[in-house]
Amino acid sequence: MKKLIDLALKDLRRAFSNIFGVVMMLGAPFLITGLIYFAFGGVAGGDDSFNLQPIRAQIVNLDAGITGFNAGEQLSDFLLSDSVSRIVDATRVESEAEARIAVDEQVADIAVLIPSGFTADAVGNQAEASITLYQDPTLTLAPQIMRDLISQFTDGFAGAKIATDIVQAQFESRGLTLSQEENQAVANRYAEQLQSGGHDHETQTASGIKVVQPGSGTEAEQGGVYIGPVMAGMMIFFVFFMGANGAQSIIIEDEEGTLQRLFTTPTPRGTILGGKLIAVVLILIFQTAVLLIASGLLFDIQWGEPLAAFLASLSMILAAAGFGVFVMSLVKSTRQTGPILGGVLTVTGMLGGLFTTGIPDVPAFLDRAKLAMPQGWALEIWQRVLAGASLEMILTPFAVLIAIGVVFFSIGVLIFRRRFA
Amino acid sequence: MSNQAIQVHDLHKDFGEVYAVKGVSFDVNQGEIFSLLGPNGAGKSTTISIMSCLLEPTSGEATVMGHSIKQDPMGVKKAIGVVPQEIALYPDLSARENLNFWGKMYGLRGDHLAERADAVLEMVGLSDRQKSRVDTFSGGMQRRLNIALALMHNPDVVIMDEPTVGIDPQSRRHILDNVKRLNEDGMTVLYTTHYMEEAQELSDHIAIMDHGEIIAFGTNDELVKLVGEQDRIDLTIDFHSDDILEHWKGVDGVHRVSTEDGTYYLLVEDSNLVLPRLFDTANELGVRISSVEIQEPNLEAVFLHLTGRTLRD
Repeated sequence: MKKLIDLALKDLRRAFSNIFGVVMMLGAPFLITGLIYFAFGGVAGGDDSFNLQPIRAQIVNLDAGITGFNAGEQLSDFLLSDSVSRIVDATRVESEAEARIAVDEQVADIAVLIPSGFTADAVGNQAEASITLYQDPTLTLAPQIMRDLISQFTDGFAGAKIATDIVQAQFESRGLTLSQEENQAVANRYAEQLQSGGHDHETQTASGIKVVQPGSGTEAEQGGVYIGPVMAGMMIFFVFFMGANGAQSIIIEDEEGTLQRLFTTPTPRGTILGGKLIAVVLILIFQTAVLLIASGLLFDIQWGEPLAAFLASLSMILAAAGFGVFVMSLVKSTRQTGPILGGVLTVTGMLGGLFTTGIPDVPAFLDRAKLAMPQGWALEIWQRVLAGASLEMILTPFAVLIAIGVVFFSIGVLIFRRRFA
Repeated sequence: MSNQAIQVHDLHKDFGEVYAVKGVSFDVNQGEIFSLLGPNGAGKSTTISIMSCLLEPTSGEATVMGHSIKQDPMGVKKAIGVVPQEIALYPDLSARENLNFWGKMYGLRGDHLAERADAVLEMVGLSDRQKSRVDTFSGGMQRRLNIALALMHNPDVVIMDEPTVGIDPQSRRHILDNVKRLNEDGMTVLYTTHYMEEAQELSDHIAIMDHGEIIAFGTNDELVKLVGEQDRIDLTIDFHSDDILEHWKGVDGVHRVSTEDGTYYLLVEDSNLVLPRLFDTANELGVRISSVEIQEPNLEAVFLHLTGRTLRD
């Protein structure tokens, strides 16, 4: 046991004296994520050094509502509220023509036109509720942000509608019918549930997608929602990189002659390989801990429930270590490790979706295809954890990652043992 | 336990079609220096690797301090210290860190570890550089540290595989003196080399290897007697001549002739009688001899006598 620790400590000592390794371990993930963060986000914590000009919006609410409920009015109030005032500089106007003229004359960037039947369509069964956005054609970012804000708001209505439909169907299956008031009560109950779904300002949908309730949370927290997956992608990529890089020490020692020399000492070969694996795991634990804590502080990323984050870290580390040992077992010399580290890990990372985490609306088939790669499963578990998933919801990717780690490590060790037999 | 530190019996090792070691047998007494002498590819390193439990023999048996390499490899590993042919150190660690690590691999801890590190650093003359990273050392210093690592646990037997390859004369002298000191302190040394002078200077017994076999065994004097009263003459000519080799082979009193890099090595009955005949033959062929060296019988002559080749071939 002492020798196992001595071997691991020696590898750790060497790993941390390698500047390139430390840069790849900690520097690179922060550098890339930071570039993305500062390019598209802002400095967290109320720093005003980066200010996006608020979108000048004209709000026209023609919605008549139903039975005392007016969804259009609620949407208008939300867009006019202080909670989004740093993003949207909204003005309420009475007519559609007036709003269109304001956009045409570039007094406003965008006009939000809420039709008269918006509430009826939103809660009814026939038509699909729609809102018209009349925009300055030269703008791209402002309309996108406005669409996102409205989508998030209307998702709540869509959820309420699904909830009432399900309740109604359940009652009808038992020969009962619900009145319009009772339907409304169900929708209101759903809205309450949405508001208090385990968090102050966010909750979990069945699909595990994070829904941020507009108007709640700080700007920094909202920034964290977007930068979180990017940081997760970078963290996974570089943790897998370090897993393979750490396992590379077997190849390096083979070439240095120290591995053969170790085999002449009264130290079992299993202990020698075990010490190296422990070193790899310890490096990855250190790397993951630093990346998680520092990114939380720097980018205000909320890494979900602590226990879920711990399990995600553990499974990712074991998968990365096992995959690293396997990949390095296929390498004959350090001359081959460059292409392996640079090529195989980049390609598998790319297919695993690590570099497209910041892109919205990734096609479903790509989202499924990522699960063909170990990194894809690591991304899957972190996406779920970031979305505030329960332990039950991360159980599958957790088990898959552990299995990936065990299988790849076993194959890698078998290959190494055969080579050094 | 017998007086023999190492016993090797009918050792064979093949790598598929290639036979690296063919029926090697020898014994090494405790407290002696035993050299395996032979050219590159003779099978010395393979024999050493088997003795170090790095390779399993195809057949045969060997014991070190009574431990079988097959039945008790851990016992063998505890009894030996191995100095590999290539320098095997951690270049990004200091000399002291290297010694501490390797000492721990032999089970040393605490004060004993520190004392042994001090002792071997003193022995190889690196005490003042113990905190320097190894990659700042000269080749000779690295060679010395390479030896020091194998001595950390004060083994019964130290196995040295060509420890002086590619180093300056001063470091080489330092290493040879250290080997003698270790032996004086009672350590058994199994030493491989292709330098005849080293084997001659150090060894109590020498086994000459060629093509995986031991072709001669004995003390230096016993081996030299194999060539009888023959002298060795080294001749250098101005340009290479294919004819001269054949003509010299036919000269009366010449037993063996080989050539390498323009120098001709001859084993002759009596150099005083044969040398004029060699000059006459060269004159007849229009070849000018530019240098002549007559050597007393030595291991080089023995190898030439036994194989028809020089140790450098």
